Amino acid sequence: MYRKIIKRSLSNMRDSYLIYILACSFAIGIFGILLSMGDNPSVHSALSWWDDFIYDITTIMSSIFAFFAFIYMIYVGGFFVKQQRNEFLTFEKLGMPRWAIITISFLQTAIVQAVAWVIGLSVMLVFQKFMGMLLFYLMQIRFNFVMHIGLKSFGLLVDVFLISTLVLSLINAIKTMRILQKRQRRTIIKTRWWLRIPAGIFGVILLLTAQIVTLYLFKDMRIISYSSKPLTEIVYIMGADIFGTYLVYFGFLPTILNIMERIHSVSYSGINLFSFKYMKERLFQNISILWFVTELSALALALLTFCYFGYQAVHQNYNSAYPFELAANKDTVKVIRKELKKNHAQIKGSYKTAVKINLVSYYSKSSQSYIRQPMTFMSYSDYESLPKRMHKNNAKINSHEFLKIDYNSSLMYNSDIDEHNIEVKGAPMIRTAEQGNSFPYGSSMHFGPMMIVPDNYYEKMPSEVKDTFYGWDFKKGDRLKHSQMKKLENYRDAYYMKVEFESSLSKSTIEVMKKEPNKYEAATYTQAGFLRQGNLKKHFKQGGGFYLFIVALFSVALLVALGSVLTLRILLRDDYQSSQLRTLQKIGVEESEIKGIIRCENTLTFLIPIVFALIQSFAAIAMFDFGRHISKNIILIYAGYIVLYGLFGIISFKVSWRGIKQKFKL
Amino acid sequence: MQIVVKNISKDFGKKRTAVHAIKDISVEVDQGEFLGIMGPSGAGKTTLLNMISTNERPDHGQIIIDGLDLTQLHDRDQAKYRRNKMGFIYQSFELLDSLNVKENVILPLALNRSNKKLIEERFIYMMQLLNIENLSARAIDELSLGQRQIVAAARALINRPEILFADEPTGSLDSKSATILLNYMQMINQKEKTTILMATHDAFTASYCSRVVFIKDGVIFSEIVNPGNRDKFFEQIINMQRTIGGGDYFNVSQNN
Ligand SMILES: Nc1ncnc2c1ncn2[C@@H]1O[C@H](COP(=O)(O)OP(=O)(O)O)[C@@H](O)[C@H]1O
Ligand SMILES: [Mg+2]
Repeated sequence: MYRKIIKRSLSNMRDSYLIYILACSFAIGIFGILLSMGDNPSVHSALSWWDDFIYDITTIMSSIFAFFAFIYMIYVGGFFVKQQRNEFLTFEKLGMPRWAIITISFLQTAIVQAVAWVIGLSVMLVFQKFMGMLLFYLMQIRFNFVMHIGLKSFGLLVDVFLISTLVLSLINAIKTMRILQKRQRRTIIKTRWWLRIPAGIFGVILLLTAQIVTLYLFKDMRIISYSSKPLTEIVYIMGADIFGTYLVYFGFLPTILNIMERIHSVSYSGINLFSFKYMKERLFQNISILWFVTELSALALALLTFCYFGYQAVHQNYNSAYPFELAANKDTVKVIRKELKKNHAQIKGSYKTAVKINLVSYYSKSSQSYIRQPMTFMSYSDYESLPKRMHKNNAKINSHEFLKIDYNSSLMYNSDIDEHNIEVKGAPMIRTAEQGNSFPYGSSMHFGPMMIVPDNYYEKMPSEVKDTFYGWDFKKGDRLKHSQMKKLENYRDAYYMKVEFESSLSKSTIEVMKKEPNKYEAATYTQAGFLRQGNLKKHFKQGGGFYLFIVALFSVALLVALGSVLTLRILLRDDYQSSQLRTLQKIGVEESEIKGIIRCENTLTFLIPIVFALIQSFAAIAMFDFGRHISKNIILIYAGYIVLYGLFGIISFKVSWRGIKQKFKL
Repeated sequence: MQIVVKNISKDFGKKRTAVHAIKDISVEVDQGEFLGIMGPSGAGKTTLLNMISTNERPDHGQIIIDGLDLTQLHDRDQAKYRRNKMGFIYQSFELLDSLNVKENVILPLALNRSNKKLIEERFIYMMQLLNIENLSARAIDELSLGQRQIVAAARALINRPEILFADEPTGSLDSKSATILLNYMQMINQKEKTTILMATHDAFTASYCSRVVFIKDGVIFSEIVNPGNRDKFFEQIINMQRTIGGGDYFNVSQNN
């Protein structure tokens, strides 16, 4: 008999279980893939450079993933038990012993879990290769990913399956027991308007102020390094957003529905009479879930924003440090050319630029002190003739403006304040200079800041030292061998500049030394002989690809979790709620109108969280996108997220309507 | 003839375990008639009413109302037709739990987007007529079964349907409420020429009809026309019930 009961209740909630099982098997599949990737031999041979790092990361990631998936399963599994409350209570009334009902609930969970694992593991087998190839593609590695599941991973998967199924089934059995002990059938939600109305208004005020503070944050974020104001603002925004959203859900939205319901000219027209009440009831039931989903979506969007801008910043920083695969100066160019020729390296592009090194002094606003130092000068037309990537991150200048390129003290925060009144030895003072951080030929090729000057200024200016920079791009790397690199190691430092600062700039001089001075003095600068970044570039790309893979995986997983929670909430109506829809049909409400109610319910359930999440993630943009305009890519990322999320909304509507229509046919 | 039912039949369930709820029934109902449908539980009364009111489609046969073959209409058009011309009092009330009494009663008018003034007028009139004004702000789950039945009746009657379907409308009423409801049904039947089709297994309730058909096991067994005297009609109905047999099916407690 138990078999029959279990079979019937499983088939009653077929659609809901299907969605739950799919979400679970997705999670299990991803978990399995992450886990098995760690000890995959092709990953190891393709990424030997990363060594154990990949294994560690995948292990950590898969445990984090498993942890959250488990919480999801506990949480959502509870929906089903709740849904069956009436059924269980009826069983008890019919005289079925309690332990039997609890056993039914236990077995039901165990069966669903087992099915999810079977599907999940097959998903893993089918998609492991695909995901592996995707990872390699993102990491730009040409290597065949071989399907492989280590015995260790497999054992671990089986363990996780057994333990998690046991624990989940026990939890659901305990939940069932508690239902049987409590007995009460329908919990009536108290309206408590005296509480909801003020709470709702307060919530709206909180959200509004949070948005205003966010606008200030856009401005204040750049002073974060020396003021506590932005931090206070962030804390306020987070608090106000989180609590404000809850209060709005708790008080404001029901109040609006209530007001609309009270306006008889609106509510006494057509199906509104019913649908307002229905929506209100559903809203009351789902407040905490909507809130939960909203905050998690906001978190997901904030994380995506953070990851995007973090990646951008690192990428930009990296690119400005190493724009060429190989760079050299006038002292090393011959040796390097010779070595390159030996290897038949395929040169894609080669560049050279003459520079002058001279002494300057100015008051630096960012460090708030007088600075005297040597500076490398380059003419405007030389600068412009270099590949675009060398200067696209610097401020734009025209042929009679100055641009000072300096190291960026912080990874993310550009201080884009113009520099003023820079004295140059033997040349006119530079009144204003734009700011930039992207060095042509790479920041490591220079010992100090660089200045791009108008052509005629460059022609006329004297120099303490003259140099020429060379840079190469290759088709398939520079092909320098280990032994050659050893040889080149001797040329790492081209020369040393010892600066004698006197009372005035015109009296100060630079002494060039070929040999490294025995003891470093404060005013000795080193000019690098060459810079080789091809290899690092590859690793950087691989790291970036791996990072992208993980971020994408986690955001999709989060999206699936949130979407399925909402869908299940919509599908799992109380019995009396779905019977009300059936009643509507009986008293002559057209199917299209009932469909309209379902559509409206779906739209609200999905729209409300995403709208509030977007409002909140605005603060994340303010935090990480300081001062710049909202970039196109971040809008694209957000749009992608919304589209995927909307897809869930549509699926949920279709499934929900199908379920109701089935009930109509009975 | 307003309603012509031609040879309809309906099965439930799959082949092997199929229930032949309606086997082959033909009925004709005049405009303004008050037709009773009697029969033991499971005879197919509810099924028959559901099919005539287009809530269910028959497997075979035709249902023609005012010359229009309803079985040929789309679900959508059927719903529209139902909403405009028909009123229902269901055996299981079919009230909406989330609405209060007033909202339940005015729902058919709201669905037709009648203006607010008309809604209020009709509502007050209905509540006074059925003597349930004091219930109007109550929630449905605070009502007794009898009160629910009257509320359901009020809802069915509020938009003055041309045809009223009533499935055991007095099944859960005390005799006083039952009499009020039946008198009202008789009144609208006479004054507004509303056609009424009422299923019941109660002889007293059936005695308000102008004609009663008896069905058993999905076929029409016989019919009696009201001779004009309710007591005499009541006797005839009781006798017919005895003839059909199986008195234990029947509920004859509510005579007065
Ligand atoms: N939805 C249904 N599914 C299966 N059988 C049904 C359904 N509705 C009614 N029946 C069967 O059809 C027969 C007639 O039912 P019904 O019309 O409700 O009888 P009455 O209203 O006269 O008591 C009964 O045997 C009943 O079991
Ligand atoms: Mg019946």
